[in-house]
Amino acid sequence: MSSRVRLEDVRVGEAIPGASKVVQREDVKAYADASGDQNPLHQDDAFARGVGFPGIIAHGMFTMAHVVKAVTDWVGDPGALVAIDVQFRAVVFMDETLEAGGEVTAVDPETRTATLSVWASVERDGKRVLAVKNSRAQVLLS
Amino acid sequence: MALNTELIGKEYAPLTVTVERDHVLRFARAVAEDAPVFVDAEAARAAGYPDQLAPPTFVTTMQIMASAQIVSDPELGLDYTRVVHGEQAYEWHRPVHVGDSLTAVPRIADISSKGPLEFLVIAAEIRDSAGEMVVTARTTLLSRGTAGSGR
Repeated sequence: MSSRVRLEDVRVGEAIPGASKVVQREDVKAYADASGDQNPLHQDDAFARGVGFPGIIAHGMFTMAHVVKAVTDWVGDPGALVAIDVQFRAVVFMDETLEAGGEVTAVDPETRTATLSVWASVERDGKRVLAVKNSRAQVLLS
Repeated sequence: MALNTELIGKEYAPLTVTVERDHVLRFARAVAEDAPVFVDAEAARAAGYPDQLAPPTFVTTMQIMASAQIVSDPELGLDYTRVVHGEQAYEWHRPVHVGDSLTAVPRIADISSKGPLEFLVIAAEIRDSAGEMVVTARTTLLSRGTAGSGR
């Protein structure tokens, strides 16, 4: 029950290893079933087109889960995750590759915590589109 | 139709859920969480936890159920087909594990608008059966194109 990352080893500006996932239709269906969010925007292409998207989109919380995974894989203990605040800025379409990651922005020796700037992005038409930005997480260090 | 700002502060009925192993496994698989503490009770115990841990965002499953009564409240006037998820914040006091009995009390924390967008903030405190705080959640939903149109 402790972070495998030691306060003394963390530097501001350090990037954490990311998480990567090709988002497919069956992933979004599995997420709908596991989470209980059965909004047709995530399952019905005709419905999604009706509200202006080219097809179904991934759940924001699916994207967020990958951001959380990048952070907890880094600290090595889910119990070390204190808080996260994520802003959803772009949707994610099927067959896009979701990348999630973060960077240490502050370290507090008093509380033995690190604050990270966290993000999620996809490549779309040769550009990097941020699905999650201006977001941060706080973790306990050992 | 603009959202009814008189409902700011309104608390809705509590929802209690027991965290089931099968549900945690399905959720962990769905978010590609393969760390041993999320899929193996023994690994979680070896790490000092009472049982297999739920991935941190698992509490969204409770929030969806608990906030259904808010988004469908006819007094609120929300058209759910116009809603997108704008922001999500969590503060964990401890990780959720299999066997936890959790109670969520959802409330409307804020309603505001900016241009054609309206922001509905739903806050929920989630406590265990001993009444101890486990996680607080804050969800911001965006309602597109509904501000300043009546009410």
